[in-house]
Amino acid sequence: MNSKSKVPCIPIEGSISWEDWLKGRRARRESSQLVAPGVIRRKRSSSDRRLKKLFNGERGLPFTPTEIL
Amino acid sequence: MDANKIKSALADITAERDPTLKSAKLASLCSALWAERGVELVVVGGSAIEILTEGAYASGDLDMCHASKATLPVRERQEVMDLLGAKGGPRNWQVAGMYLDLLGPAESFARTPFRRIEAPYGSFLVMKPEDLLVERVLMSHYLGVNQTARNCARILISGALRGEIAVDWGEVRRVANRPEYRNLLECEKLVKEVADELKIKSPLHPD
Repeated sequence: MNSKSKVPCIPIEGSISWEDWLKGRRARRESSQLVAPGVIRRKRSSSDRRLKKLFNGERGLPFTPTEIL
Repeated sequence: MDANKIKSALADITAERDPTLKSAKLASLCSALWAERGVELVVVGGSAIEILTEGAYASGDLDMCHASKATLPVRERQEVMDLLGAKGGPRNWQVAGMYLDLLGPAESFARTPFRRIEAPYGSFLVMKPEDLLVERVLMSHYLGVNQTARNCARILISGALRGEIAVDWGEVRRVANRPEYRNLLECEKLVKEVADELKIKSPLHPD
């Protein structure tokens, strides 16, 4: 929709390079945070037992803060 | 892929502390190894949403399906995952400090292609956002309000409206109208809600 965006877009056809995908991470996180702020990871699931065992009581690794992306 | 390259890829993925990079790199490595054996994998579910949106949603398991008609026989699956030092199987493995779940054939109704990312160990496929969006809208209304599914739909819509993920809105409309979903009104409503918040015109409301 927003064709003026300078952020590399994940295209329908073809592929996005790794560099461009990395370059777009911060903008994608910012777009997500605008409409669903914070960590929205599920609090529980049927995989909790194995996840919490592997990730020291958490359901996965902590997300990298937006400013570091 | 030769043994040295696999070893170095595994060391990189195991040391990776960013959960989204870790998933993407593991998807890249697994996709390459399975492709050598004629099977194309695709990242699905929450893992796909995370790779498309960076929405801080996914947990420590990577969900993949096979995009090609057939998957590998159990023995071959175990052999290929053994190359990665994986534990478990034959559908779930602990590998490189996370879990990989192989969920069977990919379920997709959109006519758009799977998205493709050129990653360090080979390109990998990601589920189509058109399918993910319609599915999450459905889940957000199923058996009461599911706020997590709703948030997933909202971040997909935001990324699409802001031009970070290319989405075929005609396909969103078509998939939502299919008998498997029948949730076009809910999709239109949520897309408009997010579009209004972002002060962008909703592509599902052309008037």
